[in-house]
Parts: sequence; C-alpha cells; structure tokens
Amino acid sequence: MEFGIFMELSVPRPWTADSERQVYENALEQVRLADELGFDYVWAVEHHFLEEYSHCSGPDLFLSACAMQTSRIRVGHGVIACVPQYQSPIRVAERAAVLDILSGGRLELGTGRSATWTELGGFHADPDATKKTWDEFVRVIPKMWMQERFAWQGRMFSMPERAILPKPIQKPHPPMWVAVTSPGTEIDAADRGLGCLGLAPGGFADSEKKVKSYRRRIEQCEPVGAFVNNKVHTVNFLSCAEDGDLARRSGLRVASIFSYMASQLLSAKEVLPTHSYPSEGLLPALRRESGSPGDAAKSFRGVTMGTPDDVADAIRQWEAVGYDGINFIAQFMEVLPQQYVLDSMRLFAQEVMPQFKQGAPRSVPAGVA
Amino acid sequence: MPLAGSLDIRALLDDAPLVVLEDRELRVDDVDILQVLYEVRVADREALVPPALNPTIPPVVSFLVYRAKESAFGPFALAQVRLTARAGVRPRAFLVSARCDNPALAEVLAGSWGYRIAPAQISLRRFHDRVDCLVADGGQTLLQLSLVDPVPVTGHDVQYPPGMHLARVEQDGITKPRLVQVDTEYEFRRADRGRPELSHFEPALWGDERLVPDEPVSASFSACDVTITNIRYVCNPDIPASEGTQKVSER
Repeated sequence: MEFGIFMELSVPRPWTADSERQVYENALEQVRLADELGFDYVWAVEHHFLEEYSHCSGPDLFLSACAMQTSRIRVGHGVIACVPQYQSPIRVAERAAVLDILSGGRLELGTGRSATWTELGGFHADPDATKKTWDEFVRVIPKMWMQERFAWQGRMFSMPERAILPKPIQKPHPPMWVAVTSPGTEIDAADRGLGCLGLAPGGFADSEKKVKSYRRRIEQCEPVGAFVNNKVHTVNFLSCAEDGDLARRSGLRVASIFSYMASQLLSAKEVLPTHSYPSEGLLPALRRESGSPGDAAKSFRGVTMGTPDDVADAIRQWEAVGYDGINFIAQFMEVLPQQYVLDSMRLFAQEVMPQFKQGAPRSVPAGVA
Repeated sequence: MPLAGSLDIRALLDDAPLVVLEDRELRVDDVDILQVLYEVRVADREALVPPALNPTIPPVVSFLVYRAKESAFGPFALAQVRLTARAGVRPRAFLVSARCDNPALAEVLAGSWGYRIAPAQISLRRFHDRVDCLVADGGQTLLQLSLVDPVPVTGHDVQYPPGMHLARVEQDGITKPRLVQVDTEYEFRRADRGRPELSHFEPALWGDERLVPDEPVSASFSACDVTITNIRYVCNPDIPASEGTQKVSER
C-alpha cells in the first residue's frame, strides 16, 4: 500500500492578515514530516472561490515549495482543473514540467474538471463542456511533454506548431491520474490508462465493484500517454493516537467540519440541469455519509481513526477491496492542534505504515531509476 | 466555520402565516413548472436567511412558478421567490414569499404549509421557442421572466429542494415561531432547460429589497405530478437546524 497526505489548505474565519500564511506554514511542516516519515505522496487540490473550504488556487506554487523542502516524497496535483476558462492546457503542461524539474522528477499529475457552480460559474465556464474539455486536455498534455514541437487542431483548443518548454525530467512523462467522484469516471480512467484518484468516501461493496470494473477495463485500454498508470487510490481521514477515543473524537471533528463546509458550496448539478454531471459527486456523497454536524463519519465504515491497531484494521479492509493507496486528510479548517496532527502522522508511520510496507518495493517514478 | 444565517425574523413574524399541524397532503397532476435561478449580489448574505439555516456560496434566488389547469381547488398558478440555503448539510430553499391567483388554495397553502402568500395575477405561457411568465398585481408588474430556447433534459436533471417556510406554528396549545419544512414530491412527465431571462423583478414587493439578481444561472421548465406531503419536520428558526429540528410526523 502507498500512503499520501491530501492538502485542501482550508482557512477558517475570522481571517486575519496572517491566517493564510499560517495555514500554508502548517501544511508545509506536515509535508516535511511526511517526507521524513516515508509517506509516498503529498497531493494539493486546485480550488477557486471556495471561502474557508480551500484557499489552494495556486497548487503548483505550493507544490514547488513542498518539493524544495523535501527530498523523496512525490508531489501531486490532486487535481488540476482541466477547464479552459481556468487555464490553457499549454500552461498546465509547461508549469507541470517546471514542477517536475524542480522536484527532481517527483511530479504526479492528477486531472479533473471541477464540480461546483461556485467555481465554474465564477469563471463563466460551461458545465456542459467540462467532460469534453477534460478529455481533450488529457490527450494533449502527454503529447506536449513528449514531442519536441507540438501542434493541435481540436474542438476546445487549437495551436500552431510550437515547442512547449520545458520538458519534464520523468521519461516518457510523469504519471497521470483522474479524480473519481462521479459514478462512471473510473471507467473513463481505465479506458485512458489513467490512475484512479478516489476523492469521495463510499462503502466497501460499491468501492469493490468500481475497483474490479477499473481493473478489468484497464487491461485493454489505449492509454492517452506513453504508459499505463494502473494505480487506484482512495481518500480517508487520518487520526491516530494511543488513546483511541481521543483519536476518534479528533478525527470526527475533521470529518464533520469537512462535510459541513463542503455542503455550503453549490454543486453544478444542483443549479443547472445538465447531463455532464450525471449525479452525485463529492457533495451528495458526503451528505449521505453525514446526518448533521457532529456525526459526519458515524456511518462511514473503514475510517482510519483510532489506535494504530484500529487504523491498520481499516486499511486492511481497503486493501482487500483492491486499493493500492490511501491519501489522508489529517487536518481541515485547523480544527486540530498542529502538534496533534504531527503526532498522529508520526504514530501512523511508526506503528501502522511498516505493516503495509515490509517487502514492498518503493514507488519508482517512470523513467527515473 | 460555516456561514450562519442572521436574518432578524421578529419583523417577519407579525404577518407570518399561522399553521396548524395536521396530517394533510395535496396532490395536483400535470403541473407546469418554470424555475429560473439567478445569483444574488448582496453585501450581507448571512442576513438573507434565519439563523437556523446556512447561506450558500454564492446565494442564489429561485423563481419557481407552478401552473395547473385542474386541482381540488380549481385551476391555479403559484409563484414563489426562494433562496438557496442549507439546513446543516442538506439543500433547502428559504421561502421569501409567494403569490397565488386562487384564493381558496392560497388559504390552504398558508394554513397547512406556511406559505407567506398574497394574491396576484399570474400568467405562464409555453411556446416552442420560449416560456414566459408574468406576475402582476393591480396593474403593477411584480415579476417578468422567461426561459429561452428550450431543449429537452430528463426530470432527473432538475432539482427543487424542499422549502423552509417561516410560520407561527401551533403546537400543544402554544404558538411558536418555526420554520416549516415543506417536502414536495415530483413525478416528471417531461423537462426542458434553456437560457434564463429576467426582465423585471420588484424585490421589495416580494418582501426583501436586498434580493438583487445579478448573474443568470439556469432556467428549466417541466411538467410534473406534484404532491406536497404532510409536514414531517419543523425547526426553531433561531438556532442551527442541526440542533433545532423536531420531527412532528412520519411520511
């Protein structure tokens, strides 16, 4: 199993001149520790306009800082928005390559398309088009990285022949993923040879079905890039302490406030009748899992909260479902003291991580031996 | 922490409808429904909804118009102005006010489901290229809006969240201020969506002059069999819904 930490960079009100800087500093401290402890990944979201929930609108900048302060942890976009009103695919390819260079070939490129009206409406982006634009982005980006010069005549995007520079260190190119929240996106991932970056909680039975379906289809995929990334990750909350009650209480605070804050956003599906967002997504999934503030994760079996044994048991369940990795949300809205978060990560790394790492080969970046 | 409503409900309670909780539901077949959504630009968005509710980011005003050619009360049209909100993590719509052209039905909607309602003349006309709605009272236009260039969608794509209606509710012989949760079931026969157009809106005449529509979001038009179900939940408007919600009946 691989393990990562997931950074939303949420900033609770009341905001002071120092609030955002402090959140970023705390996050960087967690990343440095994760690197020392042997976590495999740090992922950073891309969100815009999501007050308090996420102030991470420049994830490549944050991940560059992570890369410069660490030596081995892989730095991942989890995920970059493939929406042309947000950014051109040229800029995604260029900036991702810079990050790959600065990190010494440690970039993972997660892709997605945004799901909130709060964001899409803010950019005057068309929610009907995001699936199509995402598809075009993921087809052109690996070509931009691999071809010396690149030209494209597409539906959403065209360009005359130019050299897109710099090129990433990892050859043939960095691993690519897609965020999976809507039902069916795991099929899109499999058919394109992309890793599956699960971002919504769910039950074991449903998850097992999705993973099996993904594994079956990816065997016959035609990858958009030069190789297949067939990893399947899920997301979970991490709260690990010798005192199991304290760990569960603390973890539930994070899970609860996460659901509550997410629910204040407007999903695209909620305000616009569109086939492009067939249903669900992260927000309704969270609503299903949570009744009200205070009981967000009560019905969410398999939460990685509790003593090291509790957390290890939960991970074994997800491993049995077929996941290759779990990315943890260890902090949200700064509801936990920074020291608790760091101690939780340390205990996890000392007591739990070795149970899943013994004999396991280290994740080796493609093309970087 | 989540944004919480701060609307002062005291001023609204004087003319809030008096609701007697009873086991009652209202079914109306083949109702035409126009919904037009606009983002609202407002300095103090928390002040648009009561403390029990959370405003959405951004706040969105929903113009929701029903027209039925037949019902137990005869033909009617009903226009509602609602605001998107949350009760805890659940999507809800806070009713600002409503207008109805059928006095008998209006009385029932007010007394049984807490609709803050006043009379008006309401026209809802469907053409192949557009749907037009006009709400007027005594020659004054209160609301004029349209859906332009309709294209078919499925009913599954259209969402009408439950309403939260501020009312005085009689419980155990005592009248209390409460938000009444109005759950409505929709069985879709067809649905279209199109471009929203808002030609005229008088927010002050609907009860809140701060509701200035800003950015168009969407428009939909559907034909549904509608059932307004009996009231299952009421909520203390002064405290978060997660703490102040009371179940008053089963479905």
